[in-house]
Amino acid sequence: MKETRLGDFEEVILLLVGILGEEAYAFKLAEEFESQTGRSISIGAVHSTLSRLEDKGFLKSAMGKATAERGGRRKRIYTITAYGQRALVASRDFKLSLWQQYPAFATDKLNFGGQI
Amino acid sequence: MKKDPPIPPPLAQRFLRWFLREDLAEEVQGDLEEQFDVMLESSSPFRAKLNYWYQVFHYLRPFAIRNFKSTYTNPTIMFRHNFIISFRNFKRNTSSFFINLIGLSTALACALLIFLWVNDELHVDNFHEKEANLYQVLSNQKTEEGIDTWPTTPVFLGEALSAEMPEVELATSTSNLMDNFTISFGDNHFKSSAWFADINFFKVFSYHLLQGDPHQVIADKSSMVISENMAKKLFQTPENAVGKTVEWQVYTIKKQATVSGVYQDLPANASQKFDFVLSYETYKDILGDGTHWGNFNAITYLVLQEGTDLQQFNEKIEHFITTKRADSDAPIFLQKYSDRYLYNHFENGMQSGGRVEYVRLFSVIAIFILIIACINFMNLSTAKATCRMKEVGVKKAIGARRGSLIFQFMEESVVMAFLALGIAILLVALFLPQFNTITGKQLSLQMNTNFVFPFLGIALFAGLLAGSYPAFYLSRFNPVTVLKGKLNSSFSALLVRKGLVIFQFTLSIVLIVSVMVVYEQIKLIQTKNLGYNRENIIYFSIDGKVSEDPETFLSAIKKIPGVANASSMRGSMLGDFGATFGYFDWEGKDPDAIYQFFHLGVNYEMLQLLGIEMEEGRYFSREYGGDTAKIILNEAAIEAMGLKDPVGKTFNLWGNNMEIIGVTKNFNFESLHENVKPFFFRLLPKDAEKVLVKIVPGRERETIEKLQDFYATFNPGYTFDYQFLDDEYQALYAAEQRVSSLSRYFAGITILISCLGLFGLAAFTAQRRLKEIGIRKILGSTEAGIVYLLTSDFTKMVGIAILIALPVSYVLSRHWLQGFAYRIDLAWWYFAGAGLAALLIAWFTVGLQTVKASRVNPSQCLKDE
Repeated sequence: MKETRLGDFEEVILLLVGILGEEAYAFKLAEEFESQTGRSISIGAVHSTLSRLEDKGFLKSAMGKATAERGGRRKRIYTITAYGQRALVASRDFKLSLWQQYPAFATDKLNFGGQI
Repeated sequence: MKKDPPIPPPLAQRFLRWFLREDLAEEVQGDLEEQFDVMLESSSPFRAKLNYWYQVFHYLRPFAIRNFKSTYTNPTIMFRHNFIISFRNFKRNTSSFFINLIGLSTALACALLIFLWVNDELHVDNFHEKEANLYQVLSNQKTEEGIDTWPTTPVFLGEALSAEMPEVELATSTSNLMDNFTISFGDNHFKSSAWFADINFFKVFSYHLLQGDPHQVIADKSSMVISENMAKKLFQTPENAVGKTVEWQVYTIKKQATVSGVYQDLPANASQKFDFVLSYETYKDILGDGTHWGNFNAITYLVLQEGTDLQQFNEKIEHFITTKRADSDAPIFLQKYSDRYLYNHFENGMQSGGRVEYVRLFSVIAIFILIIACINFMNLSTAKATCRMKEVGVKKAIGARRGSLIFQFMEESVVMAFLALGIAILLVALFLPQFNTITGKQLSLQMNTNFVFPFLGIALFAGLLAGSYPAFYLSRFNPVTVLKGKLNSSFSALLVRKGLVIFQFTLSIVLIVSVMVVYEQIKLIQTKNLGYNRENIIYFSIDGKVSEDPETFLSAIKKIPGVANASSMRGSMLGDFGATFGYFDWEGKDPDAIYQFFHLGVNYEMLQLLGIEMEEGRYFSREYGGDTAKIILNEAAIEAMGLKDPVGKTFNLWGNNMEIIGVTKNFNFESLHENVKPFFFRLLPKDAEKVLVKIVPGRERETIEKLQDFYATFNPGYTFDYQFLDDEYQALYAAEQRVSSLSRYFAGITILISCLGLFGLAAFTAQRRLKEIGIRKILGSTEAGIVYLLTSDFTKMVGIAILIALPVSYVLSRHWLQGFAYRIDLAWWYFAGAGLAALLIAWFTVGLQTVKASRVNPSQCLKDE
């Protein structure tokens, strides 16, 4: 039985796939990740996450059309499956429900440095 | 000029393509190149290339790496699969399976036996702790006929070398090892081998002492050290033995000695077996006046300092004896003690083989037999390639690599070899007693690491060798052509197969010739008229009462019915006689020439008893009296001396004038490896050691019984321990006898294995050409024509083998015969006979199959297609 839990990094990549739409292939995703988060990442790391997400059924992929760039090589374009959409929604709802239970006064105490 | 745009580093690209999964290649290479191009816009080409490398390395992730281990993904399953395929294949081709199994197991059994024997030979004398630096001194004596190498040296040599040469760490001297000692305690008398040795003996050699201190155990003149076995025989336990006084006797010398130590029984690989050791000082006393630098009657062993250069040391000591005594010129040199067993033959002062030649010979034979059996396997597997080609084609089509196919076929042959090893070990266990009888050894099959690993190694070697060619040949098939049903049985494969058969038969023919030559030569030796008669003669040594009064004893036994004659002598006709250089003179002697004479001391009537004929003059006789001052020479001696009318002339021996009273015809006193050499007989009735009794033919058993009874009453306490002279003569040729019988067996096995292979090939060819035969018969071919068709191919191969083998075997047999002074002529029919035998055997083997094939009913073999 495959692992179907959505990890944190996986969630980000899944979201990026949704954002990029037709342009969702490994290089573009890595580029977008860097520009959105400011963290550098290798294409290989993105690719391996993509293939894992595909294995879990959150993504599907197909080879795109040949282009003149990149030596005429085709791209593998990823799209979110319905199952992937549900997983994203479930993850967002879960976090929102957690946030709603979170007491308002405690917000002040949130300390991102972890010095409590 | 516009520069070419930078491209991603080629090496990184190649690396990526090497490890990346095939199906990811396009997208990943595309992505990386896009990244590279983007990088180029914002930074330097160098940084872009560096980043490319970085990205490539980040693809080293499990999901992206291609499956290198595709063939090993599940080794156990694959092994099991290969095993199943192997066994199915064995089952399908039962005939070739059994041919291979029989061939390989027989060959492995031979190889294992030979391994056991060679291993035993190589380990002789290597148990001494100081073995690495332990040497024996040998001396070269020049004679008119060349240089003779002797193990004997002057008595003082060891002491002197040890004192004067800093390279010598330790030295010990011994007498010759003599097997005619008698040791007595109370009424127990035992025949034994023993020698005299000096105080360092137990320090130089690692003969482990159970009792006594190795540093001084034979220091005292009246002390002796006995073997554990002897201690048990005389005193029940080794502890009991120490301090006891026993009597020993050799020749006419009789003395007492006190046991001061007991050594553990000698290991089986000790080449010198002795029952006790006496003090060297006693030996010097016995020699008396004979202890000088011109007299060679001791054996010297040295332990050299670690790191001494042997060659330099040999040059340094070469003329050592001459520095001690000017008229004694015998160059000395060292031989490693552990080499003396294997390298025991010297020619003209140079080491020239010895037993090691047989070790090499049999090692080569073992390898050849293995190769011949492996060739069977190769030939049968490649010949049957058609049956495997579909398997290979399918496997290749679904992605098997060549490597894994090679592995599969190798595994098959190794499985076969290990099956054969199992049978071979059973065969070895079964035949080891017979093998021991032939080789005169006590080999045993012990399952310890010394044997298990070589055994497994030999089997693995045979398996890999047998599998090598088929594996590469079968795995080479092109799946497309093979699955279409075509097998271009290439010319080269056919050539290899034929070449291998030719090789097998060449070896077989060489062996047949060798066996015939060895057999004929041995027959010649055993039936050759030696110039004396050795039949129906028994001998035993003179001990106890017999030595006190030999004449009474002799005249008494002569009266026993069945005894034709009896006399006594010192030494023996077969090897144990004296040799003397110089110290003799006669009229007209060339003063510079060095002569070597062999001699024996005999009693009256000994020459008559031995049937030695006189050329001129007379035998020793009681009628004349004073014959102890007379001498009888042989023809060879007269010839060497250049004397005319020798009878009546004077021969000065060791300063005494002796009258020549007779000349015997030449007789062979040594083994037939040697020519007849100058020889003389002296009359020495008092010094005799052995009684020889000639028995009337046909009455041996009753006469010996009577002799036994008489001996028991005349000489109580001593056992009547007799031997036939003829047996002792046979023992001179023990090595040749062994080679003769072993080579017979091995040649038989080689031929058997070769024929098995030929049989398999013929059967296969006949089966494959069955349809062709059917068609030929329909078109009117006769059975004889079919047989000719199928046989001619094999005949050609055997013919070529004969052409190659005959010159080779001629050269080999000539080389072997060179070692004999009396040898057979190499008649043409040995070679013709061997060739014909090989051809007939091949025809017979092939004929079994072809005749069957030629009688096939065409309608049977052509009905289905």
